[in-house]
Amino acid sequence: MTALQKIISYEKVVDVVRGYFKSEGFHEVFTPILVPAPSCEPNLEVFETQLRTMTGKKRRGFLIMSPEFSIKKLLAQGIDSCFEITHCFRNEEEVSRQHNPEFTMLEWYRVGGNYFDVMKDCENLFTKILGKKMVYQGKEYDLSLPWPRISIEEVFEGKIPKQEDFSQKFYNEVEPKLTASGRPAFIYDYPKYQASLSKINSRGFAERFEIFLAGLELGNCFSELTDWKDQKTRFEKDLEERKTLNKTIYGLDADFIAALKNGLPEVAGIAVGVDRLVMLAADAPAISDVINFPASEIFKI
Amino acid sequence: MVNAGDIEKGMYLLFRGEPCVVASKEFMNPGKGSAIMRVKYKSLKNGNVVEYAHKTTESVEEADVDKVELTFSYIDGDNAIFIDSETYEQTPVPLSTLSGREVYLIPDLKCWVLLFEEKAIGIILPPNVVLTVTESQDAVAGNRVNAPKKEITVETGLKLQAPLFIKEGEKILISTADGSYVSRANQ
Repeated sequence: MTALQKIISYEKVVDVVRGYFKSEGFHEVFTPILVPAPSCEPNLEVFETQLRTMTGKKRRGFLIMSPEFSIKKLLAQGIDSCFEITHCFRNEEEVSRQHNPEFTMLEWYRVGGNYFDVMKDCENLFTKILGKKMVYQGKEYDLSLPWPRISIEEVFEGKIPKQEDFSQKFYNEVEPKLTASGRPAFIYDYPKYQASLSKINSRGFAERFEIFLAGLELGNCFSELTDWKDQKTRFEKDLEERKTLNKTIYGLDADFIAALKNGLPEVAGIAVGVDRLVMLAADAPAISDVINFPASEIFKI
Repeated sequence: MVNAGDIEKGMYLLFRGEPCVVASKEFMNPGKGSAIMRVKYKSLKNGNVVEYAHKTTESVEEADVDKVELTFSYIDGDNAIFIDSETYEQTPVPLSTLSGREVYLIPDLKCWVLLFEEKAIGIILPPNVVLTVTESQDAVAGNRVNAPKKEITVETGLKLQAPLFIKEGEKILISTADGSYVSRANQ
């Protein structure tokens, strides 16, 4: 695509996103990209920089891997249902068909909702963008509603793999079948060890889902954990795991924990890769086909 | 052995006991659990493509594939015969391993022949080859706007679309990646 075509495909997708959430009564929020304490996903590496004032004050600064912490602070202040479209950054990842170190994330939080409500948002929003039938890279996909909802127990036929084998088994045994089905799929109710920031339900599963379509993972949703003590323990464990994985070490965002103490409402939130949505909408094979100045070009890697 | 995290495109690896070339690879880092390397393996024996996700910490065995530069000579039954230009030793390459690419082979063309356990399992063609046009209809006047190309046939039987000005007997450059016309060959 030409630079202009890329801009137009992006613009169309973002316009639909804004239109959808405005009509649902969500606020659009804008939160910092440069932060003193980023989120703590153990496997993700962060971009670090330094903030220096004219008078010589120095602070560590990080580019966000997700706007989640800032948005949750706003939710604790009572902002109500909201969404943000922002740039996120991940270091030490491959620059590839699906990955650019800087990418556009859409996050939305439905206050009073759970992960099943967010599945409905996904269906409504994505069919507004992609239609009910989609052709991607020569293969036809049926996007008619409702989209299949398949639990992790079902996809693994009751034999849920151990934590260290989970991703490998998922990509070798499950994902090819999902792509071959020609349908999108919500994969939900993850094992506890994949809980991250989600609630654990009475059956011992994490209230979380991921959406897969055409071999792309489009988003990751949680019924958000509201218990601040539980959350703090999980973060501390994550930060500990970062040490063993030789990732950049930093402290826990104390303001974030304070906000959670203040009380996060019942809320379900999701992060969606906008670039991947645009790839599907524009039938483009790679992320570098939909963004101007991809890292592969400007950094020559 | 290669660490799956270090797999690169173009490497020769053994996958399920079969020599393969890495057609593409993608590193995936889920928020939790171990990172994985998704690899597209292309079998050197039959060209079939299989995708597999390795944990980045796994070891993968390298396929001991030798590359030798040989000259194509002729086709004999089910084999393409290649010759070492110094020793004149002949190496048969089964046509089944060429997946139809014998249409680019003309005598004296130099190619890389891939050997695994001393048997030829495939070839690497140069990116472009020069072939002579053997059939080319004269362009039909008035058909230039909608169909600025026409079908031609070259000496090996390959048919392709070429610009209207190409005539019988001309030498043209053809891409071996997709069999498309590149340009007139420089004489």
